[in-house]
Amino acid sequence: MPASRLPTRTLLAALSVAVLTLTTTACSDTGSNGPENSGGPGGTLTTQFAGIPISLNPALGGSGGSAIFTALAYDSLIHQTGDGELIPDLATAWSFDPTNTVLTLTLRQGVKFSDGAPLDAAAVKASLEYFLSAGGGDLRYAGPVASVEAPSADTVVITYKTPYPDGPYYLTQYWGVGQVIGPKGLADPDSLLTATDGTGPYTYSASKSVTNSSYTYEKNPGYFAPEAQQYDSVVVKVIGDPSASLSAVTTGQVSFAGLTPTTAVSAKSSGLKLVTAPFFTWGLTVADHQGTLVPALANPDVRQAMALALDRDALASALGADYNQANGQLTAEGVDGHLDGYGFTQDLAEAKSLMASAGYPDGFTLPVLTENVLDNQTTISQAMAGDLAKIGVKVELVVKNTVPDFIQAALSKQYPVLVWPVIGSTSAQVLANFVQPGVTDPFGTADPTLTALYAQAQAASGADRTAVFEQITKASNEAAWFIPAVSTDNVFAVDADLQNVTASALNPNPLPVSPDPRYAWKSAE
Amino acid sequence: MTRLIATRLALSVVLVVIASFVIFLLMSFVPGDPARTILGANATPDLVARLRDQLGLDRPLPVQYGTWLAGVLHGDLGRSVLSGDEVSALIVARVPVTASLLVLSTLVIGVLGTLVGLVSAVRGGVLGKVLDTVSLFGLALPSYWIAIVLVAAFAVAVRVFPATGYRPFADGPLQWLLSLVLPVAALSLGGITIVAKQMRDSALDVLARDYVRVLRASGIRERSIVFRHVLRNAALPSLTVLGITVVASLTGAVFVENVFVLPGLGSLVTQATTSHDLPVVLGVGVVFTLFVIVVNVVVDVLYGVLNPKVRVR
Repeated sequence: MPASRLPTRTLLAALSVAVLTLTTTACSDTGSNGPENSGGPGGTLTTQFAGIPISLNPALGGSGGSAIFTALAYDSLIHQTGDGELIPDLATAWSFDPTNTVLTLTLRQGVKFSDGAPLDAAAVKASLEYFLSAGGGDLRYAGPVASVEAPSADTVVITYKTPYPDGPYYLTQYWGVGQVIGPKGLADPDSLLTATDGTGPYTYSASKSVTNSSYTYEKNPGYFAPEAQQYDSVVVKVIGDPSASLSAVTTGQVSFAGLTPTTAVSAKSSGLKLVTAPFFTWGLTVADHQGTLVPALANPDVRQAMALALDRDALASALGADYNQANGQLTAEGVDGHLDGYGFTQDLAEAKSLMASAGYPDGFTLPVLTENVLDNQTTISQAMAGDLAKIGVKVELVVKNTVPDFIQAALSKQYPVLVWPVIGSTSAQVLANFVQPGVTDPFGTADPTLTALYAQAQAASGADRTAVFEQITKASNEAAWFIPAVSTDNVFAVDADLQNVTASALNPNPLPVSPDPRYAWKSAE
Repeated sequence: MTRLIATRLALSVVLVVIASFVIFLLMSFVPGDPARTILGANATPDLVARLRDQLGLDRPLPVQYGTWLAGVLHGDLGRSVLSGDEVSALIVARVPVTASLLVLSTLVIGVLGTLVGLVSAVRGGVLGKVLDTVSLFGLALPSYWIAIVLVAAFAVAVRVFPATGYRPFADGPLQWLLSLVLPVAALSLGGITIVAKQMRDSALDVLARDYVRVLRASGIRERSIVFRHVLRNAALPSLTVLGITVVASLTGAVFVENVFVLPGLGSLVTQATTSHDLPVVLGVGVVFTLFVIVVNVVVDVLYGVLNPKVRVR
């Protein structure tokens, strides 16, 4: 048709009709939320995670919330509920010997891997040994394992070189070491990158997934606890952008999503349920407490003065008072070892007096290493630097833009003080960050008191442990290697229809699966 | 024309090699260690060293690049160091998304930009001023920001379109189109205003020519003058601008894909860059380079179609 005869009016009319049709069909389609969100037993659960999986091989994958990519398909030996309680999963019973070095697990009978192979002690032993040799980043959580034995078909014995009472905790669904891989997968570990071989409620479907974008898991027909399988399939969508996560959960595209304090306010006003739990504890880690780089830091009075300089309430309220708590001690509220009403609070007069008596009335210059990934916009670091300036400590913030870059810099022993969050479900687990070489103890210089207390916590059992944990909290503040400031919450938005999503300070990362149907996520009936 | 295409294609091989080497070089400057990224904060230095060795990161850069290039020549783009997937498979899975986004946005930019520009040139007055103002906004507002506003308005407040995600064409053409309306709108706004402004200026220029006056004097209908004569002549500079806009859309697509959580090449390369997944970054880099080359060849061919003088050269 010649251009000159283009029927403009007809074209416009056609366009209008097309737009109208598109709009009305769109309304009717998204109004029902589409098949993605058709929850309830037999439907699909669509959930969000902010990052891509480190690996779909449990031995190389991530821990904490990122364990969702493996926990859906791999049952763990022990299961941790939202309240932090440890309940049976593949192991129906477990116990330590009196020295906390020999852990004996009794395995569930009649469980099969998704390829049909039976679960027995030999398979569990092989899986644990593979984890120890695979070279994954979470190897340290396996503990000081000396040996793994399978004395009978349903008994596994893990012997640790030193007491390791946290052993059962790290055999739960949040840590790769606890997730059991089948013999077929172990025979060809590369296969675990694109297929799963566990006993879990779901199996990974590579054909229905898009790597780094959307991961689909389908019901495992041979799962040992079918009553706990609430869905035909579970989809984990990788959504890193906070506003996109909020939009997705608000419009029902996903039923569960991690939020930031800012997006949490909008989510709440949209009628979504919020599940929160303290997660990170932020503060200043005085890596150079020996004074190698900055001599002043070797003086405990100086470290105490720095601890007294921080205005924690102002910081917590600036970060969003609803989801952050001022914290003057090693652990967040709810963690074993946390002492109510205890901890550093701001006292500038006392801080200045300590600085003067330590010989630094005019303060000193302090390089502080931080990153702007977890500490968004370095808000926390800058607030703490501002407070330290009030007692004359002139902070020079060195900001790294990626976590690996931060880690490399921290390990270089060039930075006396670091800003890096710590976590743990007991004060001893948090203390481990400061008494074992690593990012938060790059100089590897242990304090005898804290090291002794850490060892004591590992050897203690029952109620005695809590007493030691509390001693750790106090000793940590006295030594002031770690100067706590604020505990920030994990915040999740949950579709009003989704039940059983719980979190606590002991378990701040809800996961949808549980061998016990009382804890598995499900839609309201 | 055939020679032009042949020359361009030959040149593209050289360009791909240069572009991939530049990407390789730039990635080596990105701070952080891929092995450390993969293993996380708790990995011991021994583990990191072991993985560095496995990944060949200890070898000199030219050797690493040579190994990659040799693989490419054998049709192997390598494997993702993180997921273990074939890079080619990752790319193939994501090309439809980015291609849909770019093709639709090019169409929208081309058609709407031309129409608005022409109408504004012919009618002038208020429409011209409105176009000037809108172009200013269109150019000043980043597609990322526009995307967030569009989601808030048309996906969350009024639930007309999905807030995130992509539906393949196989799920139904309507579903596919619905999932792309907002991303395409976010990606196209800036381009429409640029093309429209260029088209208006060129059309005004052509409308002022003597031959148009002669055509009018000969009693040719205005509509015929505009669409048959003015459009053809004014289209040439707009075509160049459209080509540049389409190439620039590639950058916009990276952001837009992240906001709308579209599993395209843009979001793939973003994730790969932050996690130092070099084979994936290189693979996507090659695809992007090829895309730029193809767009330029298409623009040249269209130029030839519209302007016989170019064909002679």
